[in-house]
Amino acid sequence: MGTSGAGKSTLMGLLAGLDQPTSGSITLLGETISAMNDEQRAKIRGESIGFVFQNFLLIPSLTALQNVTLPMVLRGNEDDRSNNQKAKQLLKEVGLAGRETHLPTQLSGGEQQRVALARAFVTKPKVLFADEPTGNLDQKTAAHIIELLFKMNQEQGTTLILVTHDANLAKRCQRTLIINDGHSHENKCQESQC
Amino acid sequence: MLGKSLKVNKMTVSWSWREILFGQLWPVLVALTLIIACVVALSTLALRVEKVMTNHGRSLLAADLVFKSSNPIHPSLLEKAKQRGVTISAQSQFQTMAFSDQKMQLVTVKSVESNYPLRGELNLVGKNKTLQHQVNPGELWLSARLFALLDVSIGDNIAVGDAELTISGLIQDEPELAYNPFNSIPNLFMHASDLAKTGAVQVGSRVSFRLFVNGNASSLTALQKTYLLQAGESWIDENKQGRTASLINKAKQYLSLTILMVILMAAETLILTCLHYARDRSETVSMLKSMGASRAWLRLWLTTQVFIMFVIAFIVGCSLGLLLEFLLRLPLTDILPKQLPSVGLQPFLFAIGVALCIGLPALLIPLTRLLDAPAINVIQQQKTKYAKTSWWLLLLPFCALLLFYASNKLVWMVLLGLLALFVVLAGLSYGLLQLLGRLKWSAAFSLALSRINRSPKNSLMQLAALSGSLMLVALIWLIKSDLLGDWQQTLSPDAPNVFAINISPEEQQGYLEQVDTLALPRSDAFAIIRGRITEVNGQIASEHVANKEQLPNILKREINFTWVKQLPVYNPIIAGQWGGEKTVSVEQKVATDLNIKLGDRLTFEVNSQTFSATVNSIRSVKWQSMKPNFVFIFSEDVIADLPATWMLSFRVEQAQNELVNQLARLYPTVSLLDFRSMGHKIQGLLKQISWSLTGLASLGVVSGILLIFTLLRLSLGERKREITLYRTLGASKKRISHTLWAEYGLLAISAGFVAAIAAELILFSLMKWGFQLPTQLHPSMWLVLPLLATLIVFISLNSVIKDLLKPLK
Repeated sequence: MGTSGAGKSTLMGLLAGLDQPTSGSITLLGETISAMNDEQRAKIRGESIGFVFQNFLLIPSLTALQNVTLPMVLRGNEDDRSNNQKAKQLLKEVGLAGRETHLPTQLSGGEQQRVALARAFVTKPKVLFADEPTGNLDQKTAAHIIELLFKMNQEQGTTLILVTHDANLAKRCQRTLIINDGHSHENKCQESQC
Repeated sequence: MLGKSLKVNKMTVSWSWREILFGQLWPVLVALTLIIACVVALSTLALRVEKVMTNHGRSLLAADLVFKSSNPIHPSLLEKAKQRGVTISAQSQFQTMAFSDQKMQLVTVKSVESNYPLRGELNLVGKNKTLQHQVNPGELWLSARLFALLDVSIGDNIAVGDAELTISGLIQDEPELAYNPFNSIPNLFMHASDLAKTGAVQVGSRVSFRLFVNGNASSLTALQKTYLLQAGESWIDENKQGRTASLINKAKQYLSLTILMVILMAAETLILTCLHYARDRSETVSMLKSMGASRAWLRLWLTTQVFIMFVIAFIVGCSLGLLLEFLLRLPLTDILPKQLPSVGLQPFLFAIGVALCIGLPALLIPLTRLLDAPAINVIQQQKTKYAKTSWWLLLLPFCALLLFYASNKLVWMVLLGLLALFVVLAGLSYGLLQLLGRLKWSAAFSLALSRINRSPKNSLMQLAALSGSLMLVALIWLIKSDLLGDWQQTLSPDAPNVFAINISPEEQQGYLEQVDTLALPRSDAFAIIRGRITEVNGQIASEHVANKEQLPNILKREINFTWVKQLPVYNPIIAGQWGGEKTVSVEQKVATDLNIKLGDRLTFEVNSQTFSATVNSIRSVKWQSMKPNFVFIFSEDVIADLPATWMLSFRVEQAQNELVNQLARLYPTVSLLDFRSMGHKIQGLLKQISWSLTGLASLGVVSGILLIFTLLRLSLGERKREITLYRTLGASKKRISHTLWAEYGLLAISAGFVAAIAAELILFSLMKWGFQLPTQLHPSMWLVLPLLATLIVFISLNSVIKDLLKPLK
């Protein structure tokens, strides 16, 4: 958690191996990703990491189903039938059964984020990074998306790293780090006490 | 694990397909298709027209290639021709007297073989209007004028040299054309086997020998290469045929220039649309990278798209190009032969080559840079650090240009001119916009100006793209108009086509009155005195020539002098001034050849009488204009007293045959040189070329305008986000459209002016040094270009404004 400009996204970029630290080292899933080059980090991301972004970032020219199968294609899973089956199953779980062939522009914001959730979970990542996943959504839809995110997270046993400035949302996490001016400290207060 | 993904799978292909259709790739595809379509259409048409023109040129020559010699054809050449398997036909040409019972006349005899002509049409009309196309042994065919001059008709006997022959009929059309009115002595055809009987060809007699040759290009070239030319021998092909050759060559140059300009315009669009696409897709690439896409995968992904685009562009472009060529050819149906010359694969290969040369760098440079989009951009925008840019790809079009156009002066002139001008003019217009920005304007204008000046690089790019296309459009059209204008002037439909020479001084007045009574448009009458130039400033003329190795023709023979009170208006003075006593005006080229300057004293000889005159002016003369023209024109006091005959030219329509005959009957001693059929042939050729050029120019202009339209729409599309934001913030429709109008209007008007200046300058250099034609200003263009630009802006703005004004959802 932290205010705007505190450095949340920078930290997340570093943790997920999207960026390189200028000093220090970062270890992710037992591998020192700060010592890796772009290609090696991309490989780690493809194999073990999932993302949910604030502005969804779906490919506009791909259908909902194709957007979901994309990470598997990037991984090299060529079996279209099994890819599609998995993607359809996930789209059903996020409540988008029957909308597989829609393009992102034909979906609402909430629906687009649900496609993004399905896409994030399709490769069963070990760690899932979510950057303000509800930042662009209205309250009701946001609540719905968060429920879905936590539910799927629990079912798949993924480590979820959530960047947010919503204190209520932060409370639902097991650990909360607060970043301020580039420094982070653990929020000690327990759900029950605050 | 990711390694095994380097295979094109179904999804990548279908995704590429969607990217092209729904993503921002379709303008790139359109530009690429346009390049291919234009190149296929233009080069197919150019090839066809060139072949038709070559055929036309060859039919005027009577063969594919002509060998001309003042000595009998050397047996070794005949032997070589036989070895090469080419078709040959020999001709001897000489001048001799022909006698009828009552009259005699100097004639040009062409003794030909039965297979003459190898190209072009020979129409001989015999007794009872029978038509035949070759000369047989024992036959004698006369040109129309000879019937009148010798007062004979078909079936009569005449003596040609020592031979007595019976007239078989009239020469209606013949392929070889003579251009010089003074060399045009009426001619007749006889068969080569009858030549000996005339006794005209003897040792020392002046005979011109020709060998007509037909064959494929390679054997013709080989024949020319293997035979060593002796003195007095030369080869003539359609490229060396006086006026027609220069017409054809200029038309060919224009064709290749138009193709180049259309390619330049399309390349410009391709580059801009591709840059636009790369900018638009950098977020997607970042996202794919965040999900673990390797560079290799991304490369494969982009290559698949490029490949699919090229394939579609080739298929659609080639078909579209053929359709376009067919449409362009429609107005030419009457002129082009029924059986069109085939063009083979050449245009398609050329189009593919051009598309690859332009398309590969235009697509791959921005796309490889796209690979460097950092993954972190999905959450935080960062400046991209480019690993390396494949600038070497730019060598591709550059080398191709060098390879194809290395020797084409015009092409390099256009390219260098473009480059230099744009640096200067872009700076100028940028300065102007900056200056405008400092002045006080209405809200809309201030906003527009501040926007233009805020991103100078972007604005300059747009300005360059817009003015570049406008300029090319203007160039394509204006070069065509200037070329055609010049040709039409040289050979206007009312140009004189009959010359009357040998008019005695006593007959002169009466003859002029008679021509006027018949209402035939005529030139002034000119005195003709035959003579030579002997000295320049006291030095023997042959020692005063500029190039000592080649003596100018003018020193080898007698030429025609004349005197006037006022110089003919169609001879513009280049230096000096007409007037003064004992003076002479000299034609420009001869002045250069003989190294003659204003004020030089020239000495002449007429009938062993010498006299001198001072050069008062240098004139430019259009020898092809079919008007009486002279190298030396004297003031009245120099030669008016010398014995002279008179000449004039006038216009006779095809149907006014009777008038010509009437004149011939009334003044039997006056020689009439009738150029009507030749003029008609050249008019036909001119019309043919004009149509093709107009068609080509129109195609160039239309595609240019379409490209400008695409560019503007793209640029407006890029502004969508900003404008939507203004709209969301409550800006009225009026305010937004006013600002857009002001911005793009300013851009259009300045681009219009920049284009006009650039076009004018390039046109000037092209005309002066490239086509070697008179230069002129084009004031209407200065108005039309900015207006055209504004109009295109209006249409493009109108087509997108509705979409732009939708508020954010």
